[in-house]
Amino acid sequence: MTRALRFVGIRLAGMLVVLLIVAFCTYVVFYLVPSDPAQLSCGRPCTPENLTAARQFMGFDEPWWRQFLHFLTGIVTGRTWGSGPTAIHCPAPCFGYSFQQNATVVDLIGQRLPVTFSIAIGAAVIWLVVGISGGVLTALRRGTFFDRFMMIGSVFGVSAPAYLIGLLGILVFGFTLDMVPVGGYVPLTQSPVGWAWHLVLPWLVLAFLHAAVYIRLTRSQMLDVLNEDYIRTARAKGLTERKVIGKHALRNVLLPVATIFGMDLGSLLGGIVITERVFGMPGIGRLIIDAVGQHDLPLLLGTTLFAAFLIVLANAVVDLCYGVLDPRARLT
Amino acid sequence: MSPARSVPSAILRMLRTDRWALGGVVAIVLLGVVAAAANLLTAIEGQDPFTYHNEALDHATGRPAGTLGGVSGAHWFGVEPLTGRDVFAIVAFGARTSFLIGLAATLVSVVLGVLLGASAGYLGGWYDRAVVWTADVFLGFPYLVFMIALGAVVPASVPRPLLLVVVIGFFGWPSIARIVRSQTLTLKKRNFVSAARALGAGPWHVFRVELLPNLWAPIIIVATLSIPGKIGLEAALSFLGVGMPPPTPSWGRSISGAIDWVRTDPMLLIFPGLALFLATWGFNVFGDGLRDALDPRTEVRR
Amino acid sequence: MRAVSSGPLAGARPSSRHVRRIATAVTAVVGVAALSACGANEQTPSGASQSDAAPGGTLNILTDSASNPFDPAKSSGLAITSLALVHRRLTSWHIAEGQAAKVVPDLATDTGKATDDGKTWTFTLKDGLKYSDGTPIVTADIKWGVERSYAAAFSSGLSYHKPLLVGGADYKGPFDGKELDSIETPDTKTIVFHLVRSYGDWTWLASTPAFAPVPKGKGAEPTYGEHPVASGPYQVAEYQKGVKVRLTRNPNWDKKTDEVRKGLPDEVDFQLSQDTTTVSQRLVADSGADQSAFGASFVSPAQLAQLQSDSSAKQRLVTSKSGALAYLALNTKKGPLANVKVRQAFQYAVDKSAFQVASAGSAQLAGEVATTLITPGITGREQYDQYQTKPTGDPDKAKQLLADAGFPNGIDNLDFVVGKTNSGPDKAQALQASLAKAGIKVNIRTLDSDTYDSEVTGNDAKYDLVLGSWQPDFPSANGNIQPLFGTTEIGNGGYNISRYSNPDVDSLIEKAESTVDPTEAGKIWAQADKKIMQDSPVVPLIYTRNSFLHGSKVTGFSIADFPSYPNYLVLGVNK
Repeated sequence: MTRALRFVGIRLAGMLVVLLIVAFCTYVVFYLVPSDPAQLSCGRPCTPENLTAARQFMGFDEPWWRQFLHFLTGIVTGRTWGSGPTAIHCPAPCFGYSFQQNATVVDLIGQRLPVTFSIAIGAAVIWLVVGISGGVLTALRRGTFFDRFMMIGSVFGVSAPAYLIGLLGILVFGFTLDMVPVGGYVPLTQSPVGWAWHLVLPWLVLAFLHAAVYIRLTRSQMLDVLNEDYIRTARAKGLTERKVIGKHALRNVLLPVATIFGMDLGSLLGGIVITERVFGMPGIGRLIIDAVGQHDLPLLLGTTLFAAFLIVLANAVVDLCYGVLDPRARLT
Repeated sequence: MSPARSVPSAILRMLRTDRWALGGVVAIVLLGVVAAAANLLTAIEGQDPFTYHNEALDHATGRPAGTLGGVSGAHWFGVEPLTGRDVFAIVAFGARTSFLIGLAATLVSVVLGVLLGASAGYLGGWYDRAVVWTADVFLGFPYLVFMIALGAVVPASVPRPLLLVVVIGFFGWPSIARIVRSQTLTLKKRNFVSAARALGAGPWHVFRVELLPNLWAPIIIVATLSIPGKIGLEAALSFLGVGMPPPTPSWGRSISGAIDWVRTDPMLLIFPGLALFLATWGFNVFGDGLRDALDPRTEVRR
Repeated sequence: MRAVSSGPLAGARPSSRHVRRIATAVTAVVGVAALSACGANEQTPSGASQSDAAPGGTLNILTDSASNPFDPAKSSGLAITSLALVHRRLTSWHIAEGQAAKVVPDLATDTGKATDDGKTWTFTLKDGLKYSDGTPIVTADIKWGVERSYAAAFSSGLSYHKPLLVGGADYKGPFDGKELDSIETPDTKTIVFHLVRSYGDWTWLASTPAFAPVPKGKGAEPTYGEHPVASGPYQVAEYQKGVKVRLTRNPNWDKKTDEVRKGLPDEVDFQLSQDTTTVSQRLVADSGADQSAFGASFVSPAQLAQLQSDSSAKQRLVTSKSGALAYLALNTKKGPLANVKVRQAFQYAVDKSAFQVASAGSAQLAGEVATTLITPGITGREQYDQYQTKPTGDPDKAKQLLADAGFPNGIDNLDFVVGKTNSGPDKAQALQASLAKAGIKVNIRTLDSDTYDSEVTGNDAKYDLVLGSWQPDFPSANGNIQPLFGTTEIGNGGYNISRYSNPDVDSLIEKAESTVDPTEAGKIWAQADKKIMQDSPVVPLIYTRNSFLHGSKVTGFSIADFPSYPNYLVLGVNK
């Protein structure tokens, strides 16, 4: 038990260090580039006094390392800009405040989360189901036409960029066949059917791209496992093929798949940025793109770090689960 | 010695037996030639990617005049709406952008990955653990989001191609380092390496003389397989508006510009899209073929 | 307003400066070279010819901006867009097609009485004015609203009034208990402003957002704009950040006291964070609630091209006849550009028709060729052309002028600064190509919106040329001329980006600004316009057109000569 606790403790400490390093690097990069967010919050016409006042109010007149410290403590204790009755409060965990949008970064992300989750979860379900079942089936029917077809198809999936497939999908299914809406988002609470209907194309596009990787991975894992002694033993014992595959082989295939899934979260977020751009979805990706377009530095920094935190957290969870499931993996 | 077959002969054998890999090589060579001879090809066409051709546009809408996005003898792939710039020239010079950035970034990744991976595997200890740990962190990092943010804040005075190469290349080292490290670990236990060490050879010497020659095969495989990802990344960043700035042609930016025109002028999407797909597909199947030919047992995870 | 706009991503964002103005005006500009007008001439503004709808219904406004707060101090919104649905000001605008914009009373009984040569301005409130919460509107609240705009936390709105009020330069806002003594409120109906100098356009400034009433003592929180106390026909009933804003009727608004707002719909809903392409598709489809909706963003050229084949949608497309002045600024303080002959050569070298095509595909889509500094729809504007030439320019004449000025071999290596947004680089390339024909070689330097701002409005100007765009914040020729050409506006955040300084022009500006009678002032402004163009500090390019799309049940949708945005205050919804 203490061993397990120690393992968890070390992992958590490692995670914390990673987060600090990520935050530090991001912050340094952002604040060493010549840019003046205060310029964008200065009125028109923008007098020098106004600009100085805006800079002071936003805290951009301090040296970068102080700003970084403020940022870090803000995550734990919250932050306040200005003083007196006009002060802006940003409760912990404070990832910054967008002066352009008048909202804390956490609030802004919170608003967009349902959209992004809707896209991500739906797509992940589809690609895991298609990817794993496709991988198992191709492995079992190795060398058949089906296997070859899937393998060739999966190379296409791996090679095609998300936006290209997305745009072709819009062109074919949206405009030419007029089967599905070409963009926009309907909240689940407003209309579950409309929600799913608007998300079909993004789900399929994202799933298509990721499923390819999972088919290939599952297939090769499956082929390896099928050659293992214990599978042969199981078969020799006369267990049904269903049991052999379902109980023995699959379990050993799923472990590496789970690892890759944890690692894919990072690239999934990237894929979602692009998907939201293509399909006009107001999710976190769009928030990031808008922050780029408006040069909203605090928002850009906040979302980047928030994304990094999420990913590191997800990886740590996968790591811990893996460690708990498979004792061999501990403390390597 | 690990893979007994030499790399060139294995490639040749692969091309004879693996039709898909051959197809990939043809695609790569084709696009490579276009990229290298972009000046010549566009000179033959009589166009360049920068000149505005108002006369090739429909004057009521700014759309290309004629069918299929204005495809004609003068403009082989048609013209861009609003500007009338020649799409073939844009695609051809875009190939140059993609290949140069993709290959240069791969080079950065390979150099970093080999140095870090080999030294970690060879030296071991806390250094090894630190490298492995860092690599794990990077593999899970939301690098695209980070690159978008970086592309947005870095001032325009920093040369964009350089920035893209460094950033894309930098985030690519961990996957290479992992494979090189595990190969180094295996090699380290072999007699010839131990012998060299016993004879007092320094780490650099061992690396250069004993390790590197045996690392080429896995390095080539993993490098080839990482090229399409890097080409795709450059295109994705340009697609999102934080990659190559105009007017330098880039497939990703052309595809992004085509979004609004998908309905009225789909050819604007088709030509650069097809080129991008061919490039990534070509490197993917070529890389797969290489892996099967050089080391049939390793299934490299990507 | 400056419109150096819009993102590199198609469907992208305008420059943040533009965005802010737009975010408040919710005329969210969608970048893209858009600024366009399909068939501006062939088209009768569909809304104008219709009779008004009966009161009632819900008007939907689809915007790509993520927030639309109704905070007067932070707003740079026009007097005819969303902010004005909720907040009245002392004065407002009367705009109509074919007419110059006029200032009209809003909360005040008249457009202000100037005394002391226009250094003191007195306004009296109408009787019986009430807020949405039922309390009476008093002049102390107007004073509070103006004072509030000085606080650092709320300083991002239009600021023209700030240096003009006595003591304004050092004032830090009312929240630390200090008042601005140059605003007097002798009784609850009367308010007096004391200015540092004569200023005839104060009556226009009284229509800017900061002159909306904020109940004294309120509005300290940054989110005041999400639940403001309303004086206009609507109040904010619901504010869901990033999703929607629902405006419902303000029961205490009295139509009899308001000559600019019709207040027809029962409810106005802003749908935020909408994708512009999707908005355009929805409006083209024109079904369900979208029939009573309109898009607050410009219709992009790509979307316009699609509309050409859709006669129903084409009828619901409304295009401005004019708009922001796009211009090429020449840094009059630098090298060869200090020579007026050289600057005049630029007037002939520039190919304005190539610029039109690069902006939006065609001359008609982009907007008419500009030759004056004062934009159409502004009192006093005179149409003239001092440098008559073909729209494509006259490179030979330009070369000749350069040779006369001592540059027979042309000029090399000029530094040309352009904003990254709003297809800036594409447009700059079109100019680059035409200048090259006249032997002028320029290097384009692309900057992000904030660095662009600090570079062109900073004190240390390294550039030679800048691509700029400007639409006045209030409909006076003052707004066209003074911010761009007054000596006081050089550097220090001012927009005199050609660094132009001419004592004669300055005295004309001063004379015009201190003239209270608008017609008289207009004449002086027109004189200044011509005088400046003789010195050629800028090359006017086009008056940039904007296009908007609306649903079939929206009534009253039209765009006057100025500004190039629809008048939100008169829109109605048919049953």
